[in-house]
Amino acid sequence: MTGLLEVRNLSKRFATRAGREPSPWIIRDLSFSVADGEFLTIVGPSGGGKTTLLNMIAQIDTASGGEIIFQSKQAPLNDKKSLKPGLNCQIGYVTQEDNLLPWRTCLENVLFPLMAQGRLTEETRERAQSLIRAVGLAGWETHYPHELSGGMRKRTSLIRTLVYDPPVILMDEPFGALDAQTRAQLQEDLLRLWNLGRKTIVFVTHDITEAIALADRTLVLTRQPSKVAGEHVITIPRPRDMRDVVTQPEFIDIYRRIRAQVQ
Amino acid sequence: MTTAEDTNALCVESDGSRWRNVAVRVGQIGLGLLLLWLWKWGANSAGETYIADPFKVWSRLIEVARSGALAHHAYVTLRISALGFAIGCAAGVILPFALRRLPRLTDAVEPYIMASVGVPKYALIPLFILWFGINDAPKLWLIGLLVFYPVFISVFAGIRSVDGRLLGMVRLLGASETRISAEVIWHTMLPFFFSGLKIALPRAVSAAIVAEFLVGAEGIGFYIENSRQQMDITGAFVGIVVAIALVLVTNAILVWIDKRLSAWRPTDRHMEL
Repeated sequence: MTGLLEVRNLSKRFATRAGREPSPWIIRDLSFSVADGEFLTIVGPSGGGKTTLLNMIAQIDTASGGEIIFQSKQAPLNDKKSLKPGLNCQIGYVTQEDNLLPWRTCLENVLFPLMAQGRLTEETRERAQSLIRAVGLAGWETHYPHELSGGMRKRTSLIRTLVYDPPVILMDEPFGALDAQTRAQLQEDLLRLWNLGRKTIVFVTHDITEAIALADRTLVLTRQPSKVAGEHVITIPRPRDMRDVVTQPEFIDIYRRIRAQVQ
Repeated sequence: MTTAEDTNALCVESDGSRWRNVAVRVGQIGLGLLLLWLWKWGANSAGETYIADPFKVWSRLIEVARSGALAHHAYVTLRISALGFAIGCAAGVILPFALRRLPRLTDAVEPYIMASVGVPKYALIPLFILWFGINDAPKLWLIGLLVFYPVFISVFAGIRSVDGRLLGMVRLLGASETRISAEVIWHTMLPFFFSGLKIALPRAVSAAIVAEFLVGAEGIGFYIENSRQQMDITGAFVGIVVAIALVLVTNAILVWIDKRLSAWRPTDRHMEL
């Protein structure tokens, strides 16, 4: 099967400083593929190179070996200069920290990518407004990031990526630092928005429950140097209720199998 | 939702903090009166050939203000300070922005710029007069140079302090290098720029006054020096008071602009300069 995005034998080690031991491989011969419209989650132990993996896919970081193929075209990976962050706005990235621009209000942050890409029209502006309403940020448009709560900032950074509609969205533990309540709410928001557009999502987390609850398919990574330890197709029917998903009979079974693979 | 409520709660001052503000205000006025008394005491004991009487300075100030001479001298000094300030600022902002794109040139040029910080600019006045004559030109060179360094150094530091993750994110969202400069770099360096300006502004006015001691027949500097030569100590003191007022007013304008431009920053009173 050839997917929308393919990762083949990807490897990464950071540059060795003079006079030191060669730095260890963080990722070694990692291969997987993502189909168009698929929600893929990746679980692995923390410090296992998950963020590094996403950085390479997003073209923020170089790879030490292997290739990434997006829409049947090979992405430049070898040196820092030839990297194209976001592959011309084809790959969206919701990072662990919200990385909002602190001098822009909530709405201005959401409009930023549209403005930067020269796509700010009545129509896209309306889209931004409807996304703001969809995640419950209505009334907070003119607030600066430091005036918003952690959950609101997360929502803002999420819809900042959704607003310009990239075909692939990478998410790096976006809900990691939130309380359980806000987290469940945001997971539901995310699934609802995903259902509307069916984007391709690669979602990295260390939380097995979250990985199962959101995904069509879950990859388990090994400890460093990471490669794929196992692959699980999640058959729990959609639409799913985040608070209810753990009570599904399939859930326990998949959870046990994944649990056994995550060391 | 709690964040906004908290902010509101913080904005509404409690009775305690209102009394604290009143106490601070009373203290400030008291200190001002004490300084005025010290001045008066100095004038009485040293004699009016050295220190002018504050009340005579006040009435002279009114007199000069009514005659229009004050406005004229102040205008001359302000004009030359503002021109020199603008030139120094423009160079101090444009140069680091240009150097940002040229890291190798930056490495080559930086030690020379940093070494030239140490040149005492006032020592160059005789040369400036020799090279540029006795019009505005030597004054503008002096003021421009004195403003350039603090602005250049602070903007340079501001540009270097930019958050790499924010840069990466903005690139990923499709921003061009020009937009990155105008958006991320600009906003990151603004607070640094303003702290540089706060150093540069009084320097500009001082430099204008010193230049006027030496060159020209108008301006606050000329007024002070001219009064001293005529043994009119009250006049000299009037000039100094006006010079202080000029710096305070321009500085207040600067602080106001800074507040407007950085409304997004979380306010932390203790961090304000």
